[in-house]
Amino acid sequence: MTTRTQTAVSFTGTVKTYGEVRAVDGVDLGIAPGGTVALLGRNGAGKSTTISLLLGLTEPDSGTVELFGGPPEASVRAGRVGAMLQEARAVSRVTVGELVAFVAGRYPAPLPVAEALELAGIAGLAGRRVDRLSGGQAQRVRLAVALAGNPALLVLDEPTAALDVEARHAFWTSMRGYARRGHTVLFSTHYLEEADAHADRILVIDRGRIVADGTGDDLRRSAGGSLVSFDLAGEAPEALSLLPGVRAVEVREGRARLRTDDSDATVLALAGLGAVRALEVAPASLDDAFLALTDPEPVR
Amino acid sequence: MRDYLRLEVRRTLRDPGFVVGGIAMPVLMYLLFTNLGQDESGWRTGGMVGMAAYGALGSALNTGGGVAEDRATGWLRQLRVTPMTPRQVVVGRALTGTVTVLPAIVAVLAAGGLLNGVRLAAWQWAGIAALLWLGSVPFTLLGLGNGYRLSGQTTGVANMLCGLGLAVLGGLWFPVTLFPHWLRALSRYTPANRFAQLGGSVATGHAPAPGAVAVLIGWLLVFGSYAVLSYRRGAANL
Repeated sequence: MTTRTQTAVSFTGTVKTYGEVRAVDGVDLGIAPGGTVALLGRNGAGKSTTISLLLGLTEPDSGTVELFGGPPEASVRAGRVGAMLQEARAVSRVTVGELVAFVAGRYPAPLPVAEALELAGIAGLAGRRVDRLSGGQAQRVRLAVALAGNPALLVLDEPTAALDVEARHAFWTSMRGYARRGHTVLFSTHYLEEADAHADRILVIDRGRIVADGTGDDLRRSAGGSLVSFDLAGEAPEALSLLPGVRAVEVREGRARLRTDDSDATVLALAGLGAVRALEVAPASLDDAFLALTDPEPVR
Repeated sequence: MRDYLRLEVRRTLRDPGFVVGGIAMPVLMYLLFTNLGQDESGWRTGGMVGMAAYGALGSALNTGGGVAEDRATGWLRQLRVTPMTPRQVVVGRALTGTVTVLPAIVAVLAAGGLLNGVRLAAWQWAGIAALLWLGSVPFTLLGLGNGYRLSGQTTGVANMLCGLGLAVLGGLWFPVTLFPHWLRALSRYTPANRFAQLGGSVATGHAPAPGAVAVLIGWLLVFGSYAVLSYRRGAANL
């Protein structure tokens, strides 16, 4: 029993299909309480379906989903979960204060309303009508609604989509403030930088499967440590993939880009071939890692 | 539950469409229809009950418009991830409907008593208000059925057509004595006609006719089933 309650979120062989599309295709996953986890994927990768399953809004076709060792619905009813759903529009004809107070009142041990508003960065808007706010303000009202109940698990589905840079920055400050209180925060995003900057752990989802799981650094490493690029002078690209350390080769506009685990060995071998024109060595970016993990054809 | 009811009633009362369409319109129409042409003091009372019924009918249906709106904005989906149960939400909505019909009933009765000189015994006023209040429940269910089944815009149109159709057919706007014979016969089986009849009997000093109660209970079951079916269908896509 103790091990079960130590898991905030657990998916076991979870599958959800919509017609022909396997939106979630056999996900196994465990998230311990505390810390911030990002669910990173392209549009249509299965993020929102995963979150719907997690919140009990959707039933899996097979496999199980558990929150705190029980069905998601039990945790939702017990007030352990708060969520910011995607594509929600402003609730009409209600003030920010009324809305947040109402939602807080549904939970057994909510935050004081003033504190929830403060944390979401909208302390000055309590008396304003929700349907008359700017997009960024409305988004933060939705954050306040999600955390008003002081839930142990806060779930945010693409929380910063459609926010400008400034609003996004303010949003993450709020979110980190909540995570620091020892709660579990799970958010989905298709922005790599967001996942890297704000999550302790990144789950990369592609075509309904978790294809990578680790910190941003783990992902960078797993994709190949460095990127070596140089101008080609007629060498056959096939030979390049045989050089020491090289994991993937890409040739574009007369320039070769080698993804390598050992850039020193690769560069020495290239020097031996005399292929060092405009040579550049760069650490693989998270973008590279993401593309390598999710691209169906990483080597051309 | 009480908090939810309070929140939803407050939101309804802030809706200009509700205040104008559900309260001001019936009052204005009542005053207009009863003060044009020759003075028929009988219709002043009958029209008062009819228009109060029409206002209650419109307000009851309006509950469904709110549901459709809340489905569209995602508010009902958001409620699903709070500790509130789906049953609490739908019951809370139905109760909201029963509260928001009261302003229309009270406003039209007040217009009758204060401006049109309708004189009734205290028990009659109370009886009319109470019966119109209870009798509006089938219409709240019809509105909820539309709201859970149709999109926001379609719900608005459907509610308007239901409201107008039932009101005119039921003789809420004009006395049924102006109808051709066959329509008058049909009108007696429509819910709005019997709804107004509840209050009308009391206004003329009688107890509500058993036939009226029977027809309304029949419609209560029909609209109640419709609401349950719509809810089951609509709630799956919240």
